[in-house]
Amino acid sequence: MDTDPSLLARLVGEDIAFWFGYFTNGRHMAWYTSFRFTIIAALLGGVLALVFGVLGALLKRSRFLPARLIGGVYTGVVRGVPDVLFFLFFPLVFIQGLELVAAQFVCTPESIEAYQSNWPPCREASLYFSTEQYLVLACFALGIVYGAFVANVIHGAMRAVPSGQLEAARAYGMSEGQVLMRIHIRQMWVYALPGLSNVWMLLIKATALLSLLQINDIVWWAGQLGAPNFLPQVGMVHGDWRWGYYTALFVFYILVTLLSERFFRAVTKRARRGMPVES
Amino acid sequence: MKKLLLAATALALLSSAANAQSIRVGTEGAYAPWNFINEAGELDGYEIDLANAICEHAGIECEVVQNDWESIIPNLLSGNYDVIMAGMSITDERLETINFTQDYYPPDPSLFVATAGAEFDFDNLEGARIAVQGNTIQAAYAEENFADANEILSFATPDQTIADLAAGNVDLILADGSFLQPVVDNSGGAIVFVGPEVMIGGGVGGGVRKEDTELLATLNESLDALKADGTVNQLLAEWYGDDAPAY
Repeated sequence: MDTDPSLLARLVGEDIAFWFGYFTNGRHMAWYTSFRFTIIAALLGGVLALVFGVLGALLKRSRFLPARLIGGVYTGVVRGVPDVLFFLFFPLVFIQGLELVAAQFVCTPESIEAYQSNWPPCREASLYFSTEQYLVLACFALGIVYGAFVANVIHGAMRAVPSGQLEAARAYGMSEGQVLMRIHIRQMWVYALPGLSNVWMLLIKATALLSLLQINDIVWWAGQLGAPNFLPQVGMVHGDWRWGYYTALFVFYILVTLLSERFFRAVTKRARRGMPVES
Repeated sequence: MKKLLLAATALALLSSAANAQSIRVGTEGAYAPWNFINEAGELDGYEIDLANAICEHAGIECEVVQNDWESIIPNLLSGNYDVIMAGMSITDERLETINFTQDYYPPDPSLFVATAGAEFDFDNLEGARIAVQGNTIQAAYAEENFADANEILSFATPDQTIADLAAGNVDLILADGSFLQPVVDNSGGAIVFVGPEVMIGGGVGGGVRKEDTELLATLNESLDALKADGTVNQLLAEWYGDDAPAY
């Protein structure tokens, strides 16, 4: 902070100035900026979940049997696997898969022989993933996992649209595409939104897993900052303050939940324009 | 699709290829005063200063990067960085996979700490909850010697062992004396040393891949020079205080 500490102290008193300085030191600033990881993961993960969800729902509705099977396996299997496990599994398999491809081109028998570790096959084929790349992988992992839930929600919502509505549209002479876009998907949202808002809440909660992928996210920093410190060289000496930092995270997640609820209420209202009010 | 994949891997390879003039040093960043993140949010500590001194002496560019302790050896092998400097003791087991430089911290006894007032019979220790950091020499030692009659709890970071001792979730911590000394000194009498000293490790050194013999020679040469001109002793005194060991 550029403010003159003594001036601040005169304005608000020594104590407040001290705590202000403490909560704005480099470590805390790093914590605050790490919120971007969580927000990006939620937003990008959410968009990807919607994309995977719509694709999955279309697969499940397909008239082509293999496509229907793929859709069924996707929603069935991915929903059944714990998200923590998938979160660890998907990036690992992706990276090792890339390394396997790379190894076909860059490894020689000598370099494989010379390499100590059993994976990747040779040193040249090893890939280093930065935090940003891990973040993208994390978003895809979130997208795939919650896309399976979204697919089920949308699939169910499309079936919930009264068939009379669709028949009426056809009777007016709309083509199949028009019926799908103007009537079916348009009305489907009303039935899908409560389910989607649920999936969104689950996805928000799963963003707390980012530290599993070596991303120094808000949860990791909260643990670091709250851990008791006995070394003056490291910073202020204090006991176990993790409860305080974790409470701050609780508050953050609850605020996000409240905001999300308002958002979904507004969207639902909009989706219901001109529709009969349900009893 | 294949072309795309190829391009992606080529790009990733290019970006990860180590420049001959610069090396990356991997550290845990959670093991004060060896290596930690300071108030300014930057990596700091004895090993960070020493790494910079070595690189300055050897005329190479250094970048210190952070990596979890658990995956620190695998990520060295896969080339994410070139040297480990993370308070890692030189052991026969680790020497099977990686090479070590000469030690830059002499063999350090491992010690037990407990909360003040707790008493233990170390001759036949029973029913104690002993905290260690996972994948450390102390973890292996505790597993071998105390696992039968006691509960060994393994934590990902050393901070957590302290936090759980303070919270009463464990009875004892077994860890490097150099790490525990400042904790005991600054705990205001709440945490005390108990029991015997145990010599487990063979000093702390920098870990390098087995095939990087040239880099190993360079590092050893610089360490020799820095020990001879007193730089290492000066850094040791600066970070470990009055009871710091010296070469």
